Amino acid sequence: MAQKREQRYTILVADDSEMNRSILRSMLEESYDIIEAEDGLQAVAVLQQKEQEISLVLLDIVMPNLDGFGVLSAMNQYNWIDSVPVIMISAESTHAFIERAYDMGVTDYISRPFDMMVVRRRVINTIMLYAKQRRLAAMVNEQIYQKEKINNLMISILSHIVEFRNEESGLHVLHIQTMTEILLKSLMRKTNKYQLDRETINLISNASTLHDVGKICIPSEILNKPGRFTDEEFAIMKGHSQMGADMMKGVPFQDEPLVKYAYEICRWHHERYDGRGYPDKLVGEDIPISAQVVSLADVYDALTSVRVYKPAHSHEKALSMILNGECGAFQPLLLECLVESSDVIQREMAVDTITKGDQRAMENTAAELMEYEELSAADRTLRVLEQERTIHRFFTAVSQQILFEYTTTPPMLTLSPLGAQRTGLEETTVDPYHNEQVKSLMDLDLLAELAQLLQGTTPEAPEVEFDCEVILDGSKRPVHITGRAMWSSEDPPQYTGAIGKVEEREKKEDAQ
Amino acid sequence: MTIQECYASLEGDYQEVLGRLYSDALVQRFVGKFLSDQSFQQLEDSLKAENYDDAFRAAHTLKGVSQNLSFTKLYQSSHAITEALRTKDYDLAAQLLSKVKADYQQTADAIRAFQGG
Repeated sequence: MAQKREQRYTILVADDSEMNRSILRSMLEESYDIIEAEDGLQAVAVLQQKEQEISLVLLDIVMPNLDGFGVLSAMNQYNWIDSVPVIMISAESTHAFIERAYDMGVTDYISRPFDMMVVRRRVINTIMLYAKQRRLAAMVNEQIYQKEKINNLMISILSHIVEFRNEESGLHVLHIQTMTEILLKSLMRKTNKYQLDRETINLISNASTLHDVGKICIPSEILNKPGRFTDEEFAIMKGHSQMGADMMKGVPFQDEPLVKYAYEICRWHHERYDGRGYPDKLVGEDIPISAQVVSLADVYDALTSVRVYKPAHSHEKALSMILNGECGAFQPLLLECLVESSDVIQREMAVDTITKGDQRAMENTAAELMEYEELSAADRTLRVLEQERTIHRFFTAVSQQILFEYTTTPPMLTLSPLGAQRTGLEETTVDPYHNEQVKSLMDLDLLAELAQLLQGTTPEAPEVEFDCEVILDGSKRPVHITGRAMWSSEDPPQYTGAIGKVEEREKKEDAQ
Repeated sequence: MTIQECYASLEGDYQEVLGRLYSDALVQRFVGKFLSDQSFQQLEDSLKAENYDDAFRAAHTLKGVSQNLSFTKLYQSSHAITEALRTKDYDLAAQLLSKVKADYQQTADAIRAFQGG
């Protein structure tokens, strides 16, 4: 996040004496923005609101209401101390006092009486030290994030290709991935028999997206046949697990754990714990745990999804069918995990969307960063991002409005829940310009006009107002669209998409 | 009265403060501000009310401010009373108050004389 104009750092000065604050202000205000706090409580309140903006705290120790040590313990409690340096300013020079302040994380110490040169030097040194560390940390952060993101993207592209041929939505793959992760986490808590850790779970759930990759070798007449299979067709169909395994054996990265897990999953995700599965009729623990888990996830998702030959079963129905042994045989411990993770599964499956990959990348980045303790300051960027997303998701979900978000790369339209409901679209539509359902919602010339209007804005004045007609709840309604074009911070700025709100206009007004 | 004469009259160290703040204008500005600092009044009031926590903080602030402005004489007496209050020697603090009060008056009088021209 490069800042183009020269950055002015902000310093929080917390001292109960107005005189001392103004002396410090007069020494520093030429080069810095100054926020003053009259006591510890005010200082904490300022930090609570503006922690991100503050580059340094000059902290007096003896203050009413909450003293400097109180401020320091709040800063430790909220982890602000990792990213906001503190210089202690006090006439207190007893050894124990200073030592305690250092123990609580202060970076430096300025004693009274203030000397302008010393104050300025210590301030700039401390700010620069932290700024540099923050920049480096942000760079590493970005790298790890990109790596995770690209990983997930590649896997997701690959598995979508498989799904596409299978005439299924990409959601199946995501569901398998999510559920594999949930089941493995639950299993990890129950036993250390399988030596599961975060890394392994991450690998297996990523590999799970490839479970049906062998299906690309199945002729599409068979793969997408609407009726029942003949015995011969079924035999060909069953070949997909072996074919997937052969593909995984054929790739050049045999030492990669991901490939090893993908091989296991492809080959054995149709085995049964009682030995009556295919292709190898493996029994019990001879089936690798990766394949056991994906197998269960696959069965569950098949039961709870619509198929040409059956409606979607409820979670409860699916669970009872699995537990009754109607859909295969599984390890009892794994079934326990399924039952115990019931709530999580329902919740997570409901929020699974195509865009979830990005969130997953972020969570994994955060988890990976946790492993490098010295980078902990870096993840505040991430924390903020995550928080912003949670807020955004929440408001979109509770808002009784038709809200939309369109991004150009990848071309994707996201609607608020009410928006999806009233237009009859999914909450997320990939490539909406080529989606028949989207195209049937409004006049294409008008849509083009709106797009042109948005692209014709500038980053300074990105908002547009537009009246047109859209099909809502199945009939054509006059609406007013308030939109805002999104521009990148590049130079020159690029049009990256738009967000906005669709409101119904009064019919009679339209008739006049 | 010049600022140097003012410092002489309140028994402070003008050269020292100038050496730290680098600007005569800044020194004059803060010396002028000293009269609106309430810490001496708070010290006297809270000692009378036997509110020793507040008294300590007020003494501490007065000490810090006079130190910052190189009001040497006032700094010394406010330092002494701060230490008395820190060690909870309240009898000593009560005795020292009259000295602090005299020094504060001397300082305030000098500043007012300076401001008067």
